[in-house]
Amino acid sequence: MKALAIGVDVGSTTFKAVVLDGAGHVIAYRVEPADPRIEPQVDRLLDELQSVAPGAPIGATGYGRKRVRSGRPLTEITCHARGAFAHVREGGVLLDMGGQDTKVIRFGMDGRVEDFAMNDKCAAGTGRFLEVILARLGVPLANVLYETLSAGKAVSISSTCTVFAESEVVSLIASGEPVAGIVRGLHQALASRVASLFHSGRHPGGRVLMSGGVALNAAMVAALEERLGRTMEVLPQPQLVGAIGAALTVLPSAAGDIPEQGCGPP
Amino acid sequence: MNLRRAQYELAGRLVGPLVLALESWQRRLARRPRSSRPGPFGPPLQATRKLKELMSLHYYQGRFAQGAVPVAWVTSGFPVEILRPLGFHAFYPENHAAICGVQRLVPPLSDAAEAEGYSRDLCSYARTDLGSLLAHRTPVGRIPRPDLLACCTNICQTVLYWYRALASHLKVPLVLVDAPYVYRSARPHLVSYVKEQLEELVQVAEGISGRRVEPEALVEVTARAKEGTRLWGECLAQGRHRPAPWTGIDGFFHMAPIVSLRGTESCNAYYRLLRDELVDRVRQGIGGLVEERHRLLWDNLPIWFWVRELSALLAGRGFNFVCTSYTNAWAEAGARIDPADPIGSAAQAYTHILLNQDLANRLAILGRLSRDYAVEGAVLHSDRSCKPYSVGQIDLKERLARELGIRVLLLEADHSDPRAFSAEQGESRLTAFMESFG
Amino acid sequence: MCLLPLRPRVIRLIRMPARPVDAGRRTCSARALSPAVTRKDYILRQREEHGRRALAVLPVHYPKELLTAFGVLAVELWGPPGPPRGEGAGRLQTYVCALARNALAFLASGGAAPVGGVLFPHTCDTIQGLATLVSDLGEFDKPVLTFLHPKGPPRASAHTFLLAELRSLAEELAEFTGRALEPERVREALRLHQDIDTHRALLLDARRRLPLSDRELYEVLRRGEWLWPEDHLAELRAVSASLHAEPVQKGVPLLVTGYVPEPADLLEALGRAGAYLVADDYAAVGRRLVRSEEWFDSEADPFRLLARRYFLAPPCPTRSADPGERMRHLTGLFERSGARGVLVHLLKFCEPELFDLPWLRSTFAARGVPLLFIEGELEASLSAREVTRIEAFVEMLS
Repeated sequence: MKALAIGVDVGSTTFKAVVLDGAGHVIAYRVEPADPRIEPQVDRLLDELQSVAPGAPIGATGYGRKRVRSGRPLTEITCHARGAFAHVREGGVLLDMGGQDTKVIRFGMDGRVEDFAMNDKCAAGTGRFLEVILARLGVPLANVLYETLSAGKAVSISSTCTVFAESEVVSLIASGEPVAGIVRGLHQALASRVASLFHSGRHPGGRVLMSGGVALNAAMVAALEERLGRTMEVLPQPQLVGAIGAALTVLPSAAGDIPEQGCGPP
Repeated sequence: MNLRRAQYELAGRLVGPLVLALESWQRRLARRPRSSRPGPFGPPLQATRKLKELMSLHYYQGRFAQGAVPVAWVTSGFPVEILRPLGFHAFYPENHAAICGVQRLVPPLSDAAEAEGYSRDLCSYARTDLGSLLAHRTPVGRIPRPDLLACCTNICQTVLYWYRALASHLKVPLVLVDAPYVYRSARPHLVSYVKEQLEELVQVAEGISGRRVEPEALVEVTARAKEGTRLWGECLAQGRHRPAPWTGIDGFFHMAPIVSLRGTESCNAYYRLLRDELVDRVRQGIGGLVEERHRLLWDNLPIWFWVRELSALLAGRGFNFVCTSYTNAWAEAGARIDPADPIGSAAQAYTHILLNQDLANRLAILGRLSRDYAVEGAVLHSDRSCKPYSVGQIDLKERLARELGIRVLLLEADHSDPRAFSAEQGESRLTAFMESFG
Repeated sequence: MCLLPLRPRVIRLIRMPARPVDAGRRTCSARALSPAVTRKDYILRQREEHGRRALAVLPVHYPKELLTAFGVLAVELWGPPGPPRGEGAGRLQTYVCALARNALAFLASGGAAPVGGVLFPHTCDTIQGLATLVSDLGEFDKPVLTFLHPKGPPRASAHTFLLAELRSLAEELAEFTGRALEPERVREALRLHQDIDTHRALLLDARRRLPLSDRELYEVLRRGEWLWPEDHLAELRAVSASLHAEPVQKGVPLLVTGYVPEPADLLEALGRAGAYLVADDYAAVGRRLVRSEEWFDSEADPFRLLARRYFLAPPCPTRSADPGERMRHLTGLFERSGARGVLVHLLKFCEPELFDLPWLRSTFAARGVPLLFIEGELEASLSAREVTRIEAFVEMLS
């Protein structure tokens, strides 16, 4: 019987869960919007995953980690570092950008966390900033890359507050500024704030990895590369990194390599 | 050293003026013909050109100061009269930060300071200055490195921490004049504490400059400083007339010499020129605005990165800031200065400047200004960066409205960081305020 | 240096057999009075039973010994925590620190009813402004006293000024109490407060051997903010009687630097995460602790003794201590205590603390010591996000 482990990342916006085999491969996963009432969703999804992996130990992380039945709770900082390390097998810095918070985690050659910084107080430094304003602009996320690439010049957004920025954008549209330029400017503004968080620690060299939902936004990745002057490596299945890390912490074997191809649900 | 000294003097007296004249001539050649569309503002002040020359010259000369003369970086409220007889070139980080504010350079400079670990919740002047130092970036060409940092806490205690950070980065001596706050009236031991520190200052400054303070020279500089504040007061007083011959925003810019060049003859000569022009405009009935409909008071520092927009927004509806507590503070600072007792009177004068005295005093001054300048309303700038000025404004607003029967707006912004201000919201608040006048 | 003619020391290290650790259960009765007595009741009783008037005192540094000498009960206002309530809540802008906002709301809503007046030290621009706001615009009907302590290095001029301010405050206290100053009572008060500091230092330095949770320990330490000093000393003695011979604390040891341990559930969160505070540099606690007794001199004028004690307190940005000196103090504390990480517990908008951050970062980074920054606004309780940060930090150090 192959060793299996379940990892659950109960975030405030999305719920992620994975089943790993003994070699650390993802053999099943779930991603869905988070139910504020946590336990019913946890129970339902654990039931489903335990049918694939009966009796498998459960690692839990994220906002609701303590509400996962028989889960071993560890913070998302430790789990994201573990999940990222499993992929690169060397020290590095992980930039995780979720819906409601942004984290910078430096981990060492053994996968242990060396330093971390989080922005979770102000929406303006998180994915929420883009979500709110793009919605106001009527630009779906799928079109974002096209918009930013077609923009001649970025329209600078000076407001640091999401609410202020929204009204600033409305003024800009009213005065005839091109949507593409504004979209590009928004990405630059967010990249600038993330850069401040990044630079609040010292991360001189090494690889910079990205995870979280926002990592799926190629325009954001490009804006970050420009601002930080570093190559951003987006991890495969970037939303699952925390859940994978959580599963790895309870996996009986010591392995943790993630294969190049992602694996789908059973 | 002598060569550098010669260069410094030459820069100030000959080369500088020539360079400025050349730049000015080039600008005139490049200028497009002035549009004939009438605006809300009256004719611009002639003196402004001279102001620009004066301040540009000061900064230009500053480029040659390092190694030529002793250089001091000074807080705005510092008794600089004591340093002038020793030949110090005085550089004002606050003035430099204001320039950065006007030119909207604060965000990148602040980023450099924040990367070093300075919080964005700190005063934007401090972040600008430290950021400028760390990023080696300035809009004024070259800033001379100081031989001495001179800090007086009569404007706030933040300057103490700020200048200590500078001392650590620059590795130069810091002279601190701790001027404790005046509740009600200053007890004698408070003034003598300040005086003792000024005497210590003299010793340190003499050591650095390698000269002794000549008593007559100190008397002369003190007399000039007193005269400078008096002249500045005369300029401001012209605002009492209807229409006021200039705008409050003009006042913020023309304030630079009394802060940065206090005690020099060029400062006083400039204010005589400005006063004469203002008096002349009053005589001819020329106003800062073409049509002055409502007169306002402004409290706290200006919003440097938004001055022109603010001025235009108000002028468009005939509103003028005919007086401000900030510009007025520099006119009143000289009242206690006495050339017969330079150090003793400096201790009194610099302990009693506006921000070092209690709110009862502040309220009285705001009330007096409002009456003397016949204002109908006031805008209190709730400056995120300036606690000494902003703490108490909510109560002051209510008291002013109640006791003077004027309309008062509290406007949340920052004096130099545009990231702490929403222009859209600011504009709508001011517009609503103006509309309330009917 | 002469020997200190203190009262005989009551504290002895009791060699007790090693007991299993149960940090959740108090192993002694630390309270000098029943826990049912609220602070307000206590203040009123002190007045009724001992004739002691109370003075509310804003943070941080003030000559408590002088108040004690006049029989004045000092009631320190470190908040209170929680959102500011009542009419006074909106009188300070949101970019002013929560300490000032909460204190103003508290005073304006009648919180000052049991005290006879308020004392404001010259801590920072905000507290200086708060003093004049309360006094001049606040329609506050009780006496407002101020204490201007000097800023900058301990120069001769600073000493002179401090002495004059102390005398000036003494005059105001004489008026407040209707009593004359008695120099011998000042000396007694100085000795009493030194005793208290010595006991507090003992408890903090021997933290590993103290079978109390952080919450329990700090509860006792913080009662010193309002108990009559003798009552506080009695409680400290009771706690130190519980000291074990060997270390009993098992968690990850941390040094804390910051303003005040609020919200109190921060201390619980640390405990649950598996850490505890082994060294203290809180403005409310460690930074006002004078360890050295070298200030004492039986011949000297009591005001000089007060001034000496003032300058002997550990470096604090609100006294504008030199940052280099402060870093040396902190690294010394860190090394002696055997801490493994540093918790920097900031009060948002606190400029004196914030200006020292770059120094803190580079000093500890150079030693490879991890720092955790928790910035709060004196909330009533810790958010889940802050708890996560604490847990992640402890996970990192485990």
